[in-house]
Amino acid sequence: MIVIGSESRGSVPNTSPNVRDMAQVSCCQLDEEEFRKCCLQLLQRSEELRDGWSWQQPQGSEDGYLKKTTLRCVSVTSKRSKKNQQDSALLIDSDCRQNQSAHVSAAPEEATDDADDEDVADDADVPACSACESSFLQFEYHVVFSCSYSSPVLYFRAFTLEGRSLTLEEVWSSIHPNFRLHLQENPLNAVSQQEHPLLGQPFFLLHPCRTEEFMKPLLQMAQQHHRSVNYVLSWLSIIGPVVGLHVPLQYFSTVCVKDPASSSNPG
Amino acid sequence: MADDKDVLRDVWFGRIPSCFTLNSDEVTEREAEPYYLMLPRVSYLTLVTDKVKKHFLKAMRTDEVEEMWFEYEGTPLKWHYPIGVLFDLHASASALPWSIIVHFKSFPDRDLLHCPTNSVIEAHFMSSIKEADVLKHKSQVVNDMQKKDHKQLWMGLQNDKFDQFWAMNRKLMEYSTEEGGFRYIPFRIYQTTGDKPFIQKLFRPVSPQGNPHTLCDLLKEISVDCEQKRYQVLIHGIEPLLETPLQWLSEHLSHPDNFLHICIVPVPTD
Repeated sequence: MIVIGSESRGSVPNTSPNVRDMAQVSCCQLDEEEFRKCCLQLLQRSEELRDGWSWQQPQGSEDGYLKKTTLRCVSVTSKRSKKNQQDSALLIDSDCRQNQSAHVSAAPEEATDDADDEDVADDADVPACSACESSFLQFEYHVVFSCSYSSPVLYFRAFTLEGRSLTLEEVWSSIHPNFRLHLQENPLNAVSQQEHPLLGQPFFLLHPCRTEEFMKPLLQMAQQHHRSVNYVLSWLSIIGPVVGLHVPLQYFSTVCVKDPASSSNPG
Repeated sequence: MADDKDVLRDVWFGRIPSCFTLNSDEVTEREAEPYYLMLPRVSYLTLVTDKVKKHFLKAMRTDEVEEMWFEYEGTPLKWHYPIGVLFDLHASASALPWSIIVHFKSFPDRDLLHCPTNSVIEAHFMSSIKEADVLKHKSQVVNDMQKKDHKQLWMGLQNDKFDQFWAMNRKLMEYSTEEGGFRYIPFRIYQTTGDKPFIQKLFRPVSPQGNPHTLCDLLKEISVDCEQKRYQVLIHGIEPLLETPLQWLSEHLSHPDNFLHICIVPVPTD
């Protein structure tokens, strides 16, 4: 079982009287040590699944981050949507991996063709569309720890194969319309461009100030059911799909059992 | 001893005399003369250089013009850093005026963030204020503010209105007396060496024993040797005494974004 922080203390038989209190206080907060533990477990699983995550540590730095690059096949079409989408060049993600459409899970079922799901309908069909040209884009995802927000933050950027960086508008239009609507209501949650804290280069990110809001119910529920949670993995599976990053369900099957007593915890 | 409030004014009204010259590779229809400007230390390049843009556009063909960006001695200048930080980090040892090169082509999008409108600057500024308050007050103060209060902070900076800004910002500088200070001090340390763009960590203003942490304590924490005289530690272009309490520095020498921006530069060798 993948375990974080105080919960691993709780599963050791000899518990201190304040463990439950500590568990309550810290269940929604992530510190750097726990972040690394979660990343380590994610990496081990990623290797088993050949999912492509790696750990990067800039030279001379104590800080590191998770990294993954994916190649996504997108079709650039002219504005075909009946709805007045704000972008004239829609990037429709017909990802080469077949499980792409399965992971647009927070959106309504793809059966609804009417709405603004014309993008999704195209998705499911993986169009060999004659009216549009396909191109490959390289997406790069980094998971970096923010000590200010005590949470991971997802940074990403995208390039054409010629090395041209995608603009904010292009990235924005590659986000599923349903996510776009929600993001627009919360400007600080929207995708923005910021400097990568370890590399100093421009990346896009989803602002972390609301992370605790959606992680808290998840962690509390897990705690009530005495289930362990990998904070980073759960968080990634929630916000990753918004920006085209997919976390296969196999990550969550309990294949490897870790001995809780083997994880060392400072007092 | 100056009143502490005077320090706030001195910080706000700090200026750097600068000279903007058009990149010699730019194609012009007329000769473009250099443009001189007093830059506010606490503001951002793209917020205060409309006149620079207008001046150089007069000399150029408008169809050849892309997003404006600035460079100093080969280094693209990051507009999202406060102007004073850029100067202290890159040019503090050089003679004034600060000579900046203006570009309208070949935007270096691997180095610089895009800045198409002022709302991008505003979003960035408010994001810093929010992050600073997460550190100082677990976001409680900034979340209790209304949208118009946030707007007042931004408008104060944009329009160079000290009183308007501080009427709201003073709330972000408050703390309960039993705490002895903020929860953590919002700071960033910049060096020209090293790979990371800046150093930022959690650091409390008061030790577990109740002693106020000083600037020297902070530098020790991030492994900067304050004993040796090889480096200058600059905040707003001055070298505060290393014994200065960090809490005081945070309240008085922070930028409008509520962060203490500290530059560590080699001592000039002249």
